Amino acid sequence: MKKKSMSETFRRLTESRIFLPILALLIILLFDAIFIPEFFKIQVRGGDLYGRVIDIMRNASTVMVLAIGMTLVIATGGIDLSVGAVMAIASSVAAIMMNPTIIGVELPPNLLAFINDPNFTYSPLWEVILVTLAVSIVCGLWNGLLVAYMDIQAMVATLILMIAGRGIAQLITNGVRIQIFYEPYSFIGQGWILLPFSLYIVAILFLITWLITRKTAIGMFIESVGINPKASHYSGIKEKRIKLLAYTFCGFCAGLAGLIASSNIKTSDAFNIGKTIELDAILAVVIGGTSMSGGRFSLPASLIGALVIQAITTTMYALGVPAFALQAIKGLVVVFVILLYSEPVRVLLNKVTSEKGRPL
Amino acid sequence: MSNRIKSFINKNRQYIPLSATALLAVVAYTAGAILYPGMRNPQVFLNIFRNNSYLLISAVGMTLVVLTGGIDLSVSGVIALTTVATAALLRGGMNPWLVILLMLLMGVALGATMGVFIVYLKAQPWIATLAGMWFARGMCFFISDDAIAIKNRLFDIISRVRILIPGVTELSAARGSSIPYISIPVVVSFLVYFAGIFVSRYTRFGRTIYAIGGNEGRNEQSALLMGLPVNRTKLLVYTINGFCSALAGIFYSIFVTSGHGLYADGLEMDVIASVVIGGTMLTGGSGSVIGALFGIFINGLTQTLIQFNGSLSSWWTKIVIGLLTLLFIGVQSLVARGKSWRARVEMMGEEEAKHYRRKRWLTRAGVVAGVVILSLSAIFLPKLTNQEGFGQVTQSSRCVLQAYRREKVDEYVADGAIIVYERNGGSSCIDEIYAIYPDGLIIGDNGNEIVEKQVTVAEVDLLMAGIVDYGWFTDELYDTWHIPCGQCYGYYLTVVKDGHEKTVKGVDGGTDAPVLFWQSLSLVKAIVPQFDTSG
Repeated sequence: MKKKSMSETFRRLTESRIFLPILALLIILLFDAIFIPEFFKIQVRGGDLYGRVIDIMRNASTVMVLAIGMTLVIATGGIDLSVGAVMAIASSVAAIMMNPTIIGVELPPNLLAFINDPNFTYSPLWEVILVTLAVSIVCGLWNGLLVAYMDIQAMVATLILMIAGRGIAQLITNGVRIQIFYEPYSFIGQGWILLPFSLYIVAILFLITWLITRKTAIGMFIESVGINPKASHYSGIKEKRIKLLAYTFCGFCAGLAGLIASSNIKTSDAFNIGKTIELDAILAVVIGGTSMSGGRFSLPASLIGALVIQAITTTMYALGVPAFALQAIKGLVVVFVILLYSEPVRVLLNKVTSEKGRPL
Repeated sequence: MSNRIKSFINKNRQYIPLSATALLAVVAYTAGAILYPGMRNPQVFLNIFRNNSYLLISAVGMTLVVLTGGIDLSVSGVIALTTVATAALLRGGMNPWLVILLMLLMGVALGATMGVFIVYLKAQPWIATLAGMWFARGMCFFISDDAIAIKNRLFDIISRVRILIPGVTELSAARGSSIPYISIPVVVSFLVYFAGIFVSRYTRFGRTIYAIGGNEGRNEQSALLMGLPVNRTKLLVYTINGFCSALAGIFYSIFVTSGHGLYADGLEMDVIASVVIGGTMLTGGSGSVIGALFGIFINGLTQTLIQFNGSLSSWWTKIVIGLLTLLFIGVQSLVARGKSWRARVEMMGEEEAKHYRRKRWLTRAGVVAGVVILSLSAIFLPKLTNQEGFGQVTQSSRCVLQAYRREKVDEYVADGAIIVYERNGGSSCIDEIYAIYPDGLIIGDNGNEIVEKQVTVAEVDLLMAGIVDYGWFTDELYDTWHIPCGQCYGYYLTVVKDGHEKTVKGVDGGTDAPVLFWQSLSLVKAIVPQFDTSG
């Protein structure tokens, strides 16, 4: 209490939820600044900004979108394993709506006719986006119903859609990879207005979610359900509806991520899109410090968690680490995060800080 | 009498999910045998075990882990690492027995490491094992980027030896039909299975496993307070599963006679689904190793049924497995609900209890109706869709994915072709090679006829630029290869530019070649001529 000024603010800073992920991000960026020449170089091409740092943000946008939805689900004490599969469903729906001629045809003879026609689309863009998002909301609703009203463990309930979802996505496109030539659609993932367009999507989604969870009581309800669903129920919170809302929202986010991902590669690839991305999204939330057992959450921390993952990936690419070996490094990062948040290390850290600060 | 039945059911309530699984397995197999006469062959039945022996081994270990309330996602990674390491060590000329021993030790070490993280550092099981999976898969590619073939006498023997079943052999011989057999992996997997049953049911260690799991971690607390060795047991369970994964990996490498880091992708989910279908609750504490066999059997049976149907594509397997998982989770939660219902009814008055009973019967009737509808549709949907020609119909017998015709391609390249594209397999067993020359000449050869097409030099240049633009000569494009599948096409694309030659191959319908590869392919597909009798 005596020396409040500097050390107290420092303590408050270090104990803040967002401190560790930001620190991690800064360390990675510092590493990049030293070892990778021109890492922070940003070029201006045709009025738009390009560079490695922007690449990191652009590539992280899918995981960021997912992490926003996932944060709310995890905060209610649940988990959603199906986001990758929902992404695949969403991209299949979008592609089949714009380019339905390919269904059932192994090698369409008229492929040449519109292989590079950027104006070809079967359904108008707004319809595509609307239907895709509606489908993914239904997927989220299904998860929410299973978890909230059927009382099925979240991990198991979403596992069902995770397994079946990819099959459904392949069913929609008949197992064919559908290429998307429609130019306005690819703007979602590839367009730039000074910054990549997908970043604006992330920003808007984040802002809306943040406003809804922090400026209304919903955020508090979610935390309360995550900490103790029974107590929340007795205190008059409709805990089932809150859970349903969280999963539905997560489904919506997955659909949005599916749109971004499929427009980014201009293909609906039911098998590959969003593969194991659920793990990245969960990891981003965990790095952001939201407890897996539910309760308090922080949306910005989750976003930074997603950036940390992507920054590591981009750094490794820049250093020339092959794509697959990257997984091993990702595994080591997870181990490091586990260590950081584990009890023995916590105790040790507390000891160190208490020796310096006040006696315990 | 009815009271006796009731008390019998109540006493054996825990076996309801298991018996439901067993019943479903029998019903599904019978239905299959009625619909498809080919399935009556006993060898088809045994093949389900032959093709899934590694899954059974893995499911036994996974059941133990799940019973403690944990989960192990690292299974597929450890299996892939085992296949690659085995293949690489055998290529290096190491004694195969030593290799097997080393692999098992590696599995134990990996499992134990993850166990330490979970037990002593209190990491969430799925996060720790997820890290394990990523680590193991990444390590595969430090060993080798490409698939390594296994050529070893011992491995050959293990995969080829046919074990006859006493009794069945005589019966088949008497009937004059072919004699059914099983393989060494099947025998080993059943040994592991019985060992798992014994350990979980009749040892102190097994009882501790059951005591730890369930009730959202509260049971673990109670077990700890009872003085049970919780930490040691959990550590041991993950170590055992590491061992099982390595053993499964060895049999997997025998099954596909090669090793690659992309093998067994997503296999952990198959295993977990099988464990759930086998009647084990993912919250832990309830279920049995016995169910693992039925779970695996149903998984394999689904694939067999879909193969026999012929008109359903491979992804139906996933949808059916997802539905079955849902069904069994429904059964489980009903059983769990029944418990709490009974407890509640006992505390209630007459009127209220009546109301509750009625509600309960309604739910039960609903579930029974659901099960009936689902099984009926499972039986009749294939028939109906068969007639309507839904999906891609396989007319002829399935054909095995053919080997890449390397020499032919080399011939074309030596001839001056810059892009050579081969497509083979598929439902009508095609085998086409196209060669594109820098002067715009395109030659297609499907074994029966040769087609030629002339395009402009600019078009070829554009095509080449497009392919190179997709990153053809970078790490972004890499080979994938997987178990040959009857309905799939194999695609091979060779590109020559400035003295560089690179071939990338991928299999359609269930592998994960990079997206850029498919995009490069579609560029080529768009330009090559069509055969008249294509399709």
